[in-house]
Amino acid sequence: METYRMNSRRLSLAALGLAAAIVFLASYALASEGGGADRRADLLDLLYRWINFALMVIILVVVLRKVPIKEYFSSRIQRIQKELEDLKMQRESAQQKAQDLESRLKAFEGERKEMLEEYRAEGLAEKERILAEARGRAKQILEQAEVSIQYEMQTAKEKLKEEVVALAAQKAEEIIAREMTDKDQDRLVNEFIEKLGNTH
Amino acid sequence: MEDGRYQDYGKELRAFADFYESHRELNQAISNPAFTLEDRREILKAVLSRTAMSETIRNFLNLLLDKNRITALGEISALFEQLTDEVSNIVRADVVVSRPLTGEAEGRLGKALEQMTSKKVRMSLRLDKSIVGGIRVKIGDMVVDGSVKAQVQGIKESLKRGV
Repeated sequence: METYRMNSRRLSLAALGLAAAIVFLASYALASEGGGADRRADLLDLLYRWINFALMVIILVVVLRKVPIKEYFSSRIQRIQKELEDLKMQRESAQQKAQDLESRLKAFEGERKEMLEEYRAEGLAEKERILAEARGRAKQILEQAEVSIQYEMQTAKEKLKEEVVALAAQKAEEIIAREMTDKDQDRLVNEFIEKLGNTH
Repeated sequence: MEDGRYQDYGKELRAFADFYESHRELNQAISNPAFTLEDRREILKAVLSRTAMSETIRNFLNLLLDKNRITALGEISALFEQLTDEVSNIVRADVVVSRPLTGEAEGRLGKALEQMTSKKVRMSLRLDKSIVGGIRVKIGDMVVDGSVKAQVQGIKESLKRGV
């Protein structure tokens, strides 16, 4: 801060010296060009102008010294520096956050890949399980169908056999009844009586 | 039944049971509770007065009427016959034939059955063409089937079993 004040003061003195030097050089140049009354009038005019300028500079210096311009600029500089520091901190914080986010993004990317792999593996396992279950079920259905077919065929065979046998028995009864004679009946009765006798 | 006339009683009971079951009007009049017991007694008395039944059977029939068991007369008669048969060492044989038996065959059959059962046999013959030929005898719960139908049936069962 002290350095800034010293620089400011040096800057004011340099401006004042520069203004004085310009006026002096200008008046010297004008004085060296012409002569006589005109020259004097011009010099006088120049002098007035220079005085006028000097007064303006003095007033400016006085006014500027009275007004707390330095404090204004100082506080302004401080504020700007603080803002700069804040901005720097914010920038650092933002950078930190960005880094965090980036690292989290990388971690998330890794997790995402890991999860995708996991889901893919689970999906494959589930697919295999479903396929195995479906194959097992299909095999079971085929076996059941095979058993049912065998059973139906066996039942149909037995039914057919029963029908054939029943028909044959019926025909046999009809033929025997048609061909039966009294002699046959007597023979059957005699055989029956003999068997009864033998059972005792 | 101490008087030893149980066989006569059995015959009387069977005769009345057959009469009772074959006459629907009598059956309904005696067993119908729409009539008073007195009226039914009078009806039974009137019917019995026209028969030569023993006093024992008359009293028994009146008892059945009083106890409202007259409708079971057929079963009671059958059971009585069964009991009297047991007492008399008699068995009843239901004989089924497809053609009438000769007297000689009937006699030989009776003897064979008596030898088999060691009891006196009373045969009741019945014609049934459905047995095709041969003879079938039922004594109590035992059936001796020598009919052609039974033989064909046996062959049929053997064929079914694949023998």
